[in-house]
Amino acid sequence: MSNQNNAKLSVSNVEKIFHLKNSESIIAVTDTSFVVAENEFCVLLGPSGCGKSTVLRMIAGLEQPSAGLINLDGREIMGADRDRGMVFQSYTSFDWLTVQQNVEYGMKLNLVGRKERKERADEFINLVKLTKFKDAYPKQLSGGMKQRVAIARTLANEPSLLLMDEPFGALDAETRWNMQELMLSIMETTHTTVVMVTHDIEEALFLGDHIVFFSSHPGTVLEENYVEFKGGNRVTRKEDVLVLDGYADAERHIMRLMREQGTEHLD
Amino acid sequence: MTDKQASNRAQKKLWFEFKKPISLPVTVALGVSMWVIFFGLWELSVPMGWVTELLVPGPTKVLSALYNLFVERNFLSDVGVSIYRIIVSFIAACAFAIPLGILMGAFRAVEAFFNPFVSAWRYLPAPSFIPILLMWFGTGDAPKLALLFIGVVWFMATIIMDHTKNVRTEFIETSQTLGGNRWQILRTVVIPAVMPDVVTTMRQMLAVSWTYLVIAEIVASTNGIGAMMMRAKRFIHTDEIIAGIIVIGILGLVFDYLFRALHRAMFPYIEEHGR
Ligand SMILES: Nc1ncnc2c1ncn2[C@@H]1O[C@H](COP(=O)(O)OP(=O)(O)OP(=O)(O)O)[C@@H](O)[C@H]1O
Ligand SMILES: [Mg+2]
Repeated sequence: MSNQNNAKLSVSNVEKIFHLKNSESIIAVTDTSFVVAENEFCVLLGPSGCGKSTVLRMIAGLEQPSAGLINLDGREIMGADRDRGMVFQSYTSFDWLTVQQNVEYGMKLNLVGRKERKERADEFINLVKLTKFKDAYPKQLSGGMKQRVAIARTLANEPSLLLMDEPFGALDAETRWNMQELMLSIMETTHTTVVMVTHDIEEALFLGDHIVFFSSHPGTVLEENYVEFKGGNRVTRKEDVLVLDGYADAERHIMRLMREQGTEHLD
Repeated sequence: MTDKQASNRAQKKLWFEFKKPISLPVTVALGVSMWVIFFGLWELSVPMGWVTELLVPGPTKVLSALYNLFVERNFLSDVGVSIYRIIVSFIAACAFAIPLGILMGAFRAVEAFFNPFVSAWRYLPAPSFIPILLMWFGTGDAPKLALLFIGVVWFMATIIMDHTKNVRTEFIETSQTLGGNRWQILRTVVIPAVMPDVVTTMRQMLAVSWTYLVIAEIVASTNGIGAMMMRAKRFIHTDEIIAGIIVIGILGLVFDYLFRALHRAMFPYIEEHGR
């Protein structure tokens, strides 16, 4: 799955400088390049503050790169648009809309007809197992359910790329693990290309086809890992990935990187 | 110690636990008691010789004055005039302040243009405009409506601006990554997200409106609740003055209640409906 020829997304020599109010500036990300293949589940991993969110937000078009180029499907991206749907860590289901209305929201913006809108919403609500709650308001849902609404809403809008910034970060361990498995089964059905940010190593190894590891200060790609131990397959149950040959080595390797990078800026 | 004493003690203790809820009947009884004590002391104050009846007529006397006002003195038309002034000026203020506040909160450029102007007006006490409003608009409804309008509109715009700024950025960004354009985001995210706070702000500002109404009617009016009270003052009808105060209080409560009900009906998806 690491083929550069069928590049879906390419990030080339991207840099992001934030100019602060006191006329100082922070180089959040520098000289960052990586490529995501069609249908790939790409995970951006790295210690806190290394610029993962910034890279994801630039891909989404919510931030402008200070330098470099981001191409999606061979075209340079211009601002935020429906072809790059984003799921945030904080809950973003609109609290004035029901689950059904939330999932239809993006399609409504894009003038999808009422009948098709409803059918597609039903399909994606079913996919995230919320059919029983389709008329509920977000206040009646748990955190995991709210994230499922956000995922269904984004996928129902048929983005070319699904972006997720620590989508399960606020969930408890069991819910998080269920959501990870749900995510893989969704990928099985929809064949979406995903770029997800996390700093959970287990999550990265379980979900990722391709892990991009960032170093911190300034953030840049330190190494890429194609989780060869999974043999190019996706493992659908989390307990099964833990016993694969090579899993422990990969986890240890990444943990070491994380430790080196994480402590570097404390000195 | 008997069981009764024990349970009494348990209850007494419960009343004075920090932040612990008390039962509904107790809550109601306590609330009513305060009023009973208040009316009791008031009714007693004349026979006990604490005050003269001329300055503090008892509650029964005030009630009969109230009855008289409505039945024989056509007080209803005064009340109607006051309500009319409140509603007309308040609608005008909302029509101006709500869109302005939302646009100032949503777009920095709109804020930069209007806010220095709007903030300056906020610090001018509205009643200081009464003399000039009278010169401009004469003695009809217009100066009162103008006073109510300027008394409320600047605060309302600023408060709504602040609420709009608090609309979560992730909501807006989510809509952007779903393909929403500027107008769609304003219409489908910013406005619905801020609407509950707008209605709460309207409720609070309506109470302020009542304050200015009474000032306007006392200072310069021949009709309305405040004017009735000034007429009564001239004839030393203290009971009618107090009756006027009570009517204003009740109307304030009724409007407040109506806005709460409106809030609950409009926003069933909200957990807490503000106080
Ligand atoms: N809007 C901004 N203004 C100024 N500095 C910013 C801004 N956004 C991010 N930064 C800075 O850029 C750097 C990278 O931040 P970013 O949020 O991308 O890190 P991250 O890898 O997502 O961290 P975490 O794992 O904690 O979410 C940090 O030093 C941060 O302070
Ligand atoms: Mg982040």
